[in-house]
Amino acid sequence: MVNNKSKGVFTATVTSNRRIRECFWTIDLEFTGAGAAAFAEFQPGQFVQVDVSHLGLPAEDLIAPDLRDASRRNILLRRPFSFADVTAGPDRTTAELLYCVLGPASVRLTTLSRGDSLSFLGPLGNGFSVPPGKRLALLVVGGMGAPPIRCLAKLLKAEYPGTNVIAFIGAKTAQALPFEGQFEEMPERVDSFVPALARLGIPSAVATDDGSAGYRGFVTERLAQWLDEQRNWSAEGTVIYACGPEPMLAATAKLAAQRNIDCQVSMERRMACGIGVCQSCAVECRVEGSNETVYKLCCQDGPVFDSRTVVFDPPIQVVEEVGLARAIKEGLASPTVDEARILEALEHGEEERS
Amino acid sequence: MAKKREVDISVDFAGRRLANPVFTASGTCGYGDELADFMDVNRLGGFITKSITLQPRKGNPAPRIVETDAGMLNAIGLANVGLERFVAEKLPVIARMSVPVFVNVAGERIDDYVAVVERLASEKAIAGFELNISCPNVAKGGISFGRDPEQVKEITSAVRKAAGDRILSVKLAPAVTDISVIARAAVEAGANALSLINTFTAMVIDIETRRPVLANRTGGLSGPAVKPIAVYLVNKVYNEVAKKAGIPILGLGGIRTASDAIEFLIAGASAVAVGTASFIQPDSAVRIIDGIEAYCVRHNVARLADLVGSLA
Repeated sequence: MVNNKSKGVFTATVTSNRRIRECFWTIDLEFTGAGAAAFAEFQPGQFVQVDVSHLGLPAEDLIAPDLRDASRRNILLRRPFSFADVTAGPDRTTAELLYCVLGPASVRLTTLSRGDSLSFLGPLGNGFSVPPGKRLALLVVGGMGAPPIRCLAKLLKAEYPGTNVIAFIGAKTAQALPFEGQFEEMPERVDSFVPALARLGIPSAVATDDGSAGYRGFVTERLAQWLDEQRNWSAEGTVIYACGPEPMLAATAKLAAQRNIDCQVSMERRMACGIGVCQSCAVECRVEGSNETVYKLCCQDGPVFDSRTVVFDPPIQVVEEVGLARAIKEGLASPTVDEARILEALEHGEEERS
Repeated sequence: MAKKREVDISVDFAGRRLANPVFTASGTCGYGDELADFMDVNRLGGFITKSITLQPRKGNPAPRIVETDAGMLNAIGLANVGLERFVAEKLPVIARMSVPVFVNVAGERIDDYVAVVERLASEKAIAGFELNISCPNVAKGGISFGRDPEQVKEITSAVRKAAGDRILSVKLAPAVTDISVIARAAVEAGANALSLINTFTAMVIDIETRRPVLANRTGGLSGPAVKPIAVYLVNKVYNEVAKKAGIPILGLGGIRTASDAIEFLIAGASAVAVGTASFIQPDSAVRIIDGIEAYCVRHNVARLADLVGSLA
């Protein structure tokens, strides 16, 4: 995985901020000087920490009614984002920040307009890496996992022309797909449906929980179905890149392990600093050749991890289905999972956070 | 980097001359040079490492933090590499730093604290120790030592013997009946500095699931929200214990700007530590140093010591 050392605090200028559809917005940014040089080295999957603490709220009638209560909270910490696109030029680097308006920080971002400044700490963490000898790259996106995968898609097309790239995109509903376009009643097949990827020559298949676009069901089920249909397909020559909610990443990792496919997952954790000092963003990882696990830091050791190393949070429904003992045995739950917590959650009939 | 100093912002801290009164707070700046990409660590008045325990600790499961209005809760659980790896991997880095380094020490039993301090007290690179008897996020040890004056005495005097001629600061928990009683116990047992305050035990609830947000259920509240309480407690301990005993206070709790730091100095702190603010602006500590100097110029404070405890 790739890490560059020229991280710092840089100011970018907003060149546009617009709503693309539903709750999804995108900000175009421009870095100059040292920031342009630092972000020219940005690797897909790396992230930035954005300071939004100085931004005010939009007028109340511009805030979705279900966010009015939550958005009143003040912001202290920076917020992590992964860029959806980065283009390095001779003296400036542009970047696209795709975001979903869902809380007090993102609602404040909607107030930015052309000419405004934003402070970025970055580039941070380790991005995706492209192992040699891969002829097929499968991109797996769940909802707001789209930005780093889009950034990677562009790099793959530009620098690995011999690699065939196909995207599998999942969301709860057609409205929850974080791309520009019209997705309602889209067919199940793999085709040039998602304009942002089609422009790069990358076909995609969509899956939604309610069937409002593409396949009805989980994106990982759609991926498994597609793999089953392939002839002359080599696991060795394939790599999966995934970003999305943790249960989706866990299912992707399981599928990759069953079929012996290399898989990189981009993890997400609540974090304060993003630079390895606050130790908040613990990701439980296996220690090779032992039953022990350690906590690695999402910000510094990740956010992109080899899927074989990560011990995923067990989705409650998995535990419910197979029982905790089997979930642990099959690597679906951590051996150190707090059993009481899981059982308590089951009793209350909750869904695992995602 | 070095600037011409128009005023003397150096301070005496338990017999050690510090170039300025600004430290990094334990657990917010790593073991040594982690923030070197963002600031010249050697410009600091002092550096305090994250907590070291005798054995390595994995720490708590995630989520370990949650933001609140004007603050954050953390429940890291004293995750650290343990004494052995600290000596092997981190001490050489510390030895290259020119700033006085204090090692924050935590443990479950008094013997654990003593073992860590005994091993490190002969290291030239280490100026002193900060005794963490106020961590709210561990099942054993931590804050349970810091609430009872008899236990504070016992642990402080045991560590004092192990610390030799090094500075020993005891870091106090804020949520106690009378913090001066605890401060006095530490001073009587041989502490030659006091760090206050540590975080407040607190909780944030996810109202959708009716569960605490943190995996540890509770965490320590830090950030601007705690600052006025910290200023009050520093002033109280300065007046009731530290001033008479001639013991310096390291004030911390929600310091984000030079003005915040100056409040602590006026309240009676001889030095200050910057914690949560470094998460947002990694070079906060050096900005605060510059701000303190500018304040002294503006207010004709010739020596920073004149500011300490100058509350009218």
